[in-house]
Amino acid sequence: MSTIPFQQAKLVELYCLEPVFFASRELSDTYYTEGVIGNYALTYALGRVNSPYRLQGQATGRPTYKEDLQPIAHDFYILPASPVGRVTFRFERFNALSDSYWYAMTNNRVATAREDLPLQRQGKKPSSFRPSNFPQTGRLRMIERRNKFQTLVFGNYQLPNYIRLGKFMSKVKLNVLNEFPVTLLPEGEYQSQHYLNAADLPQQIEALAFDLISIPPAPIIKNLRFRGAAWQVGEMIVPAGLHFCGRESSNE
Amino acid sequence: MSISKLSSVLATSYENFPKGRFITLVVLRTTHSETIFRTEGSGEPMCSEFVQAGLEGENQKTIIQRLVMTKRKQVAPERRYGREHLRAHELLYTNPKDGSLCSLNTNAPCEMCVDCFLYGFAAGGGGAQKSRIWTEDAFSILPASDVVGDRTINAIYETGTMRDEKGNASTALNTSEYIKPGVHFLDVVTLKDVTADELRYIIGNILFTSRYGAVSSRVGRMENEILGVFGSITELPSSLELVQATYDALGKPLEHPLNIKQLITASKQVIANWKNKRGVSVQLSEEELANLLTDVETNWSPDERDNFLKRLTQSYESFRQVAPEKNKGKGKSKGKNTPVEVEI
Repeated sequence: MSTIPFQQAKLVELYCLEPVFFASRELSDTYYTEGVIGNYALTYALGRVNSPYRLQGQATGRPTYKEDLQPIAHDFYILPASPVGRVTFRFERFNALSDSYWYAMTNNRVATAREDLPLQRQGKKPSSFRPSNFPQTGRLRMIERRNKFQTLVFGNYQLPNYIRLGKFMSKVKLNVLNEFPVTLLPEGEYQSQHYLNAADLPQQIEALAFDLISIPPAPIIKNLRFRGAAWQVGEMIVPAGLHFCGRESSNE
Repeated sequence: MSISKLSSVLATSYENFPKGRFITLVVLRTTHSETIFRTEGSGEPMCSEFVQAGLEGENQKTIIQRLVMTKRKQVAPERRYGREHLRAHELLYTNPKDGSLCSLNTNAPCEMCVDCFLYGFAAGGGGAQKSRIWTEDAFSILPASDVVGDRTINAIYETGTMRDEKGNASTALNTSEYIKPGVHFLDVVTLKDVTADELRYIIGNILFTSRYGAVSSRVGRMENEILGVFGSITELPSSLELVQATYDALGKPLEHPLNIKQLITASKQVIANWKNKRGVSVQLSEEELANLLTDVETNWSPDERDNFLKRLTQSYESFRQVAPEKNKGKGKSKGKNTPVEVEI
């Protein structure tokens, strides 16, 4: 990684205008958002790549991050957004109801098949009354309004003023705080303050120590101490050669 | 059979999911005796609400206090009336919890009778049925101050006086507000996804129920008249708008008691324009409305009633019977080998 694919990078602040929800972790019936915004989500939110409105057949079972992101990886990259200050969260309870005239709340399922009621009254459990494996009620831990995150956007793109994020398409304001040139630092031992995506790290990097935030689709790394080349953007230092799905591209 | 004119907004049978079929009944409710609609208990004033007098000109700037006949005070006696007949014809079911007969307010609805299917229930054996009868607060046309009076009530001893044999004075003396006879409430009742027989049942309940409000063994006599029937894919104007528009149409001066003929003419004039409202497809003409009411009365007549109620009860039968086995072996499987459900 001697050349720098990106001439410049923008320091961007994300300001949550609405509570933001991602299902980062699930404990019983509580669904937690971690205090971080993944860079793949941000890439989709910025409209750099698009996913279809409807997935059918086999496509429902497999995400297409690699197919979507690798084509744009040579001239665009964005870091996961790390919180500015402490993240505050809010809890909300949700419950699902049917629009049917008759419904019953059974074991984690809103039963709507009224014709199965006589069977259920005989003490049997018709399948429409059995627990479902998708949530009907529960609690959400969401990133509260007014939280700020910041991230670096590599590449020279016009960024929208507002984006929509997360499962509930929450509105987030985007401010470009500053623009910096990207400079290459020689091999050495560095400490990176920024959140990084584990799947995007370059092959040659030697990671010495880090903290891991385990979320799908790829873990986020923070407080990384590493040995290797680095990029400097303003005051910030990140490993050189960050690239969407970079761990994958060795065989190219 | 003018009921067939409503076929586009009538369901053919009970379905569990809504299909956007609305039938709207415009009902004129007139008190025929002292009547008491209050929510605060004995000695408290009648339910009333400050609203705009009308929708046009000076009337829309004038605020008056109108009496309110709340939703529940309409529906509760009406569904009780229907249940009386279900009980008489042994069409109420037993609830599985303790085997007792379906009864309102016992937290144990049978979930299977006509009333349960139509007027709904909550907190039964875990399920709930939403009511398909949407009611609205009905408002009096005239201001509350014109149509409310006071009564002093005293309870006397058997001696016929307010003193007992020991000479102690009776404390049973009270003053209570009441609504005068001849007061008109205009009301809009919305029915969702009902079948022809359900419609007959509901209209019958409205026509035959004659006592509303408190102390209904003594007072509370009311007469209901259906002024119009509409079919639509949306709700029609509210009771309040209907009352206000009628108030405008009546002109001045207005004082109690109103001439009921003039009032009906004015109301019908107002709802004649509703045919042009967004989403309205059917309005029954005078003749069709009369035919519909005759049809309802025929079905509720002594000769027909048993058939009618049993036919209506029968219409839900598929929801009471255990459905035939679906591609599964017999025996009590404990959740093994059950077909996987696919959610789309």
